[in-house]
Amino acid sequence: MKKLGWYQWLLLAVFLLAVIVTGLFAVRAVRRAVYWQTHRDEQIRPWMSVRYVARSYRVPPHVLYQAIKLEPVPRDRRPLREIAREQNRPVEALVYELQQAIKDFRANPPPKLPPPTSPPGQTASPLAGATP
Amino acid sequence: MSLSDYLLSTLGVYGLPVLFAALLIGAVGIPLPGSLMLLAAGSFTEQGDMNLYAVLALSAAGSILGDNIGYALGRWGGHRLSVRISRFIGSERHLKAAEEWLIKREGAGIFLSRWLITPLAPFINITCGMTGYSWPRFLLYDVLGEALWVVLYVLLGRLFSDRVQEVGELLGDFVWMIVGLLFAVALGWKLLKYFRSSSIDEERDETRGTLVDEAR
Repeated sequence: MKKLGWYQWLLLAVFLLAVIVTGLFAVRAVRRAVYWQTHRDEQIRPWMSVRYVARSYRVPPHVLYQAIKLEPVPRDRRPLREIAREQNRPVEALVYELQQAIKDFRANPPPKLPPPTSPPGQTASPLAGATP
Repeated sequence: MSLSDYLLSTLGVYGLPVLFAALLIGAVGIPLPGSLMLLAAGSFTEQGDMNLYAVLALSAAGSILGDNIGYALGRWGGHRLSVRISRFIGSERHLKAAEEWLIKREGAGIFLSRWLITPLAPFINITCGMTGYSWPRFLLYDVLGEALWVVLYVLLGRLFSDRVQEVGELLGDFVWMIVGLLFAVALGWKLLKYFRSSSIDEERDETRGTLVDEAR
């Protein structure tokens, strides 16, 4: 067999590196997929909005707004990072309160989903009286 | 806080302009989490926070524009540089070979790097420009590939609108796995060819040796 020159050694080294990288990412992908199968919740991140967290954790949004002492805002796109800045506190504190609220909600799920509490002073929907 | 957290936060606050700019800059070659932003935008359209068609149109426009900036950089900034480098190291022949190879296979390379092996896209844009690859043809594969990428990721974002982060990380691992696999196969093939050719040489030497012996 021919002797390996420096170029072949380099090819071989890069080839082995590529095999290792492929293997590592394959293992990571499989581990993520397996984790995903067993854990339904994804980690709360600063970019997520309250509505996104509510959706992701299947908790009514007003429960989460209540937990962080905010009035529910329709179409609220503010990320948690923004809310934390408005409240002048670290985003981790906000995330912690949301996690607690989710835990509490799951520990004592209401028998039926309660209607969102309308802010004081707001008139009821005109449709409310129409239904018997 | 990570870069992707920061970018996704600004996407939540400012919407479409951030998406457009991030995809454009990412396509030129600054590593930004474009795929994750598309997934998040898809999720936002599902929740009614962003308009689906506007997201699709602006995302495609941003990434196509960015790709073409990369191509232009390679064409007008890179060609002169590559000629100078190749003259300096005396391997203009190699550059010509690369050009020929690219002209033959680049179509698939451009198309696949738009939506599947996305980390390679900026390099391919610049090499296409550098080797003087036909711009209309580049644009054609680019538009097709980017359209597929944008539609695919936005729809995945809509489908998994409650677990964008996880889907993004999983897809990221998958894409890097494909990139690694591609390199491994290409390099493995090259090595195999080298070993085969060297063993054929040896066989030839051996048969030549026996023929010489028989002749004696």
